Amino acid sequence: MERALDWNRREFLRGSSLMALATLLGGVRLMRPEAAAEEPEPAPAERVKVGLIGLGQWGRELLDQLLRLPQAEVAAICDNYPAMLRRSAKRVPDAFTTEDYRAVLDRKDISAVVVATPTHLHKDIVLAALEAGKHVYCEAPLAHTVEDAQAIARAALKHPRQVFQPGLQLRSDPQRHFLLPFVRSGALGRMAMARAQWNKKISWRQTSPNPEREAAMNWRLAPDISLGLLGEIGMHQIDQVSWFFGALPTTIHAFGTVAFWRDGREVHDTVQAVVEYPEGLRLLYSATLANSFEAEAEIYYGSDAAVMIRGSSAWMFKEADAPLLGWEVYARKDAFYKETGISLRADASKLRAQGDQGQAQTETADPPVYFALQSFLRNTRELATAVQDFVSLYGDSDPQALAEYLAKEVRRLPAADVLEGYRATVLAIKANESARTGKPVTLPGELFELG
Amino acid sequence: MNWAEPCASKLMMRTIASRLGRWSRTLGRCGLLQTRPYWAHATVWLLLLSLPLQAAEGWTRFGPKPGGKSKVRIEGTSTIHDWQVESTLVGGTLEVGPNFPRAQSEVKPGKLDVRAEVFVPVSSLKSIKKDGTPYSTAMDDIMHEKLLKTQHPRIVYRLQELTLKDGDGAQGLYNAEAVGDLVVAGVTNRITMPVQIQVQQDNHLLISGQVGMKMTDFKIDPPAPKVALGLIKTGDEIKVLFQWEVFPR
Repeated sequence: MERALDWNRREFLRGSSLMALATLLGGVRLMRPEAAAEEPEPAPAERVKVGLIGLGQWGRELLDQLLRLPQAEVAAICDNYPAMLRRSAKRVPDAFTTEDYRAVLDRKDISAVVVATPTHLHKDIVLAALEAGKHVYCEAPLAHTVEDAQAIARAALKHPRQVFQPGLQLRSDPQRHFLLPFVRSGALGRMAMARAQWNKKISWRQTSPNPEREAAMNWRLAPDISLGLLGEIGMHQIDQVSWFFGALPTTIHAFGTVAFWRDGREVHDTVQAVVEYPEGLRLLYSATLANSFEAEAEIYYGSDAAVMIRGSSAWMFKEADAPLLGWEVYARKDAFYKETGISLRADASKLRAQGDQGQAQTETADPPVYFALQSFLRNTRELATAVQDFVSLYGDSDPQALAEYLAKEVRRLPAADVLEGYRATVLAIKANESARTGKPVTLPGELFELG
Repeated sequence: MNWAEPCASKLMMRTIASRLGRWSRTLGRCGLLQTRPYWAHATVWLLLLSLPLQAAEGWTRFGPKPGGKSKVRIEGTSTIHDWQVESTLVGGTLEVGPNFPRAQSEVKPGKLDVRAEVFVPVSSLKSIKKDGTPYSTAMDDIMHEKLLKTQHPRIVYRLQELTLKDGDGAQGLYNAEAVGDLVVAGVTNRITMPVQIQVQQDNHLLISGQVGMKMTDFKIDPPAPKVALGLIKTGDEIKVLFQWEVFPR
């Protein structure tokens, strides 16, 4: 991973001149600048036929987002539980439905699959899908064991003509891409620490009249297959901090307890972790299923300012002695108890409506997973076209030359890659290990390499 | 310069003919062939007739290789800034005939025996910034749509005539004028442009040139996409620059 806390502040400020211009013109909010036009709706031939495997709670969320994306055609849905299949079939009456994922992979017209089954079931499906020539979006964590994660990552690397995207959706989020320079450029002064949390009052336990089904549904509460709160949820935010810090963690010390949901479960409903990075940087992480106060947040603390990210909004809190950046004078401010937050909200296309602050404030932006799937669909199309173009010139006898062309010329929208997915999964597994034993786990660099 | 290709082809044909002769003589000895010379001749002629063009006297066929220096670049203007798109995929074939100068003494202005058909996949054209880094996938989509990618997936150029102007045989550099048909978005225009042909040391060619044209010549309305800051209007005038690196086949 690049060591990238060293972005040049001047470069960053120069790059943000468009934002500065917008604010000087009387704009009050700072938004993600977008010079590009809104993406035109693709011609029907360019839509990607997708098969969705796994229709649990998150699978259905993915289905909702896919249905919003004009680039997607949900051509098949699959779940091994008929009731789940019937439920989702109502949303996509024209889609092919099956209880066997192999039937989806057999469909030649389906070029991409989204795998949203329980984590421990990913491996067989992903390996078969890659073997069948499908582009694969696999939910994160990729697997519940390092061996399975390795098998998946290696298989993905063996198929350079297919997109493999791990479901680290924050890596595709325009909001995060907009904020990355704030954290890395030195606008926050010297980085001191980070804090992140995920609070939600939710049991995780689901009930079913069928005991077998109930056991299958509650895989997250089964200690031998679940990576717990840190591994299933926390890994997304910890990965984001690693990304923003431009470094891999060196040690994790996690703690867990069953604080509220005392229904006989062993999997912790409340966890904390201290994640150490090089140069004395630490992330303090906490998550609970017992309380929802302040929900989800990540906060980066520097010597000049702190940046708080909550959902699709972000604010900067400046120290009194911090140098003036200029634009923040004009930016929108929000009060947080005794603090004033300078709005850093990324908002792609609302510049025209900037006069209407009230509306903008309540408007919900697209969730990160929407952008992750959009990237996935776009990237599958880009990669497939590039392969086709190359082969039309030179034939298909030089895989090395093709790989070089693809590495150089394919325009990918931001998305997590194989190695990032593998590293985040290893971290998820180690975080869970630490929480279960209560002991710190050191994370040597080679742990994150595929070897 | 080493123009060994045609000679090698001739040698190969002679070898084939003699082998066929020997084979047919063997058959004849086995009593399978009574009219030996006629049979052998017919086979050789059939073979010769079916051989591709490059085997013709003095003609050499060239084509691109992956990782070469080929590039097509289109430059244009707009109300906000200049823009450029590029592709490194320049396909097709080039055939060079016997009157292509092989030495300084042979450089004579006039029509050259050259046949060429070149294509660029529309989807491989990508918008880039001034520094060569990717610009915008949304702009790529607008451009591909304007070029009618779905109906006409390739931009095609068919050379009609190549006239040698002058050149330095020692340097292997020739200036010429190319007349050809350019097909963009299904519309054909005859284009005349100066080109440079550089014969490289290991006998491959680098052909380069540039020419100005108008989008409206190809019935393309200059794109005017709506963006967050308003409307961007692109200028009708564009410049096409290319270099095509081809190797003997």
